[in-house]
Amino acid sequence: MDITIKELEHLYSKGTPFERTALKDVDLSIKEGTFLTIIGHTGSGKSTLIQHLNGLLKPTAGSIEIGEFHIKSGEKEKRLKELRKHVGVVFQYPEHQLFEETIEKDIIFGPLNFGVSEEEAKKRAAELIELVGLDHSFLERSPFDLSGGQMRRVAIAGVLAMKPSILILDEPTAGLDPRGRKEIMELFYRLHQEEGLTTILVTHSMEDAARYSDRIVIMEKGTVALQGTPMEVFSDANALKALSLDIPETVQFIKRLEDRFNTTLPHSVFTLEETVEAAVSLLREEES
Amino acid sequence: MMQNIIIGQYVPGKSYVHNLDPRAKLLTTFLFVIIVFLANNWITYALLGAFTISAIVVSRIPIRFIYNGLKPILLIIILTFFLHVFLTKEGPLLFDLGFIEVYQGGVEQGVFISMRLLFLIMITSLLTLTTTPIDITVGLETLLGPFKRFGLPVHEFALMMSIALRFIPTLLEETEKIMKAQAARGAQFSSGPIKERLKSIVPLLVPLFVSAFKRAEDLAMAMEARGYRGGEGRTSIRLLKWEAKDSLLFVFLLVLSIALILLRS
Repeated sequence: MDITIKELEHLYSKGTPFERTALKDVDLSIKEGTFLTIIGHTGSGKSTLIQHLNGLLKPTAGSIEIGEFHIKSGEKEKRLKELRKHVGVVFQYPEHQLFEETIEKDIIFGPLNFGVSEEEAKKRAAELIELVGLDHSFLERSPFDLSGGQMRRVAIAGVLAMKPSILILDEPTAGLDPRGRKEIMELFYRLHQEEGLTTILVTHSMEDAARYSDRIVIMEKGTVALQGTPMEVFSDANALKALSLDIPETVQFIKRLEDRFNTTLPHSVFTLEETVEAAVSLLREEES
Repeated sequence: MMQNIIIGQYVPGKSYVHNLDPRAKLLTTFLFVIIVFLANNWITYALLGAFTISAIVVSRIPIRFIYNGLKPILLIIILTFFLHVFLTKEGPLLFDLGFIEVYQGGVEQGVFISMRLLFLIMITSLLTLTTTPIDITVGLETLLGPFKRFGLPVHEFALMMSIALRFIPTLLEETEKIMKAQAARGAQFSSGPIKERLKSIVPLLVPLFVSAFKRAEDLAMAMEARGYRGGEGRTSIRLLKWEAKDSLLFVFLLVLSIALILLRS
């Protein structure tokens, strides 16, 4: 399902002394199967934007099209529930949404709400608990006995169990240790590729953005400040600086390498592995 | 939905009412609650109404906020009104529907009681709308100060209140967040049969309680870490200043009370 956002505007507490513009003039189109990363400072409207994508927030002006679903200001989309079945959201600190007595029950909460049979839902729970890196014995345990990282994994399994075709991740690795961070991101990336998902990732990590995304959108003060492929975005160092955002470490490294060796490297090098490879081949060239 | 809850909903402003000393406002509200009961005829109720309405006008709080505060008790007011209309049998008979007789005294009583409730709620919401929770607490703590001698844990009470008030918006925010997370997983809170809706509260309440307890623990820890040992010898960063305008408020109130006493029948 393609996503098209047109002139989206959102005002919080509209018509009160607390009125505040969260989003304005957001135009964005996201093709099916894209891995899109949204970057921006706190308060730039990232979280507000993604909440529009499954109808949790309604635009105060503008429109959103998601496949056959249309969300417009002032109009009611009656099939919100159906839309939410297609759009899974992993919120910030998703472990705060756990509530059931057992982990299995919590994972199947979503699927059951969307009319999946209990048998099928349990099957999914059994698969997913392993997928997120916990074992079968967890299913019967209480989610409140787990460590923070494990709770996070269970909560993520609860969203994946709905089998969404669009997966929205709002800082899914915030507060995890580096290893857990990497494992979780690798899991999302694998799912993105294997299931052909459309993934929208909100993050502060330039490294994650560089590593996984097809497209990057940079939000600033409630609107889109910069967008493009990682190559386009990260080669515009001045624009990034103007937005006071960091360039990924790999890109910085490559830049210095280029200065030192007085050469130019192909500007598509963003992941750590690619960077290492580029550096190694450069050094080899030097030697020979 | 969340916007309707007015408790702790302070509306910033710089009006006369906003700038009053919280002690003055608290005492006035308290005294107002008492003198409301002095009114017993049309003229005295009109006076109370004039006082209430001018207080609201002077405060420049949009009428919508006052109305939102009234909404939850509107039903109670309407109910008391009709109870009085139908059950009080005083004065001349107004009309007779066969199964029900309406007397003039009943209608009067109904109107009076509803007005009394309306004024009470309006004035008390005005207090919370124009005073920050912290100011209310500091005001209460100083006002209740003398009772410490009788073993009343005034400081602890004030602290509990300020913590409770402080966390109302936080909890509301948290509720909204959890509601969204569960709605994204297909939970429905605002439609469907009553039984289903009641059941849908569980996925909301459990996480809310879990986080509230966790918050409480964290807060206690943070307070202790910063050396909090209770109220003994603790001074406040907020010093309340009683000014002429605060005394002026009591002049208004005194005039109102005297007028009420003179004009009541």
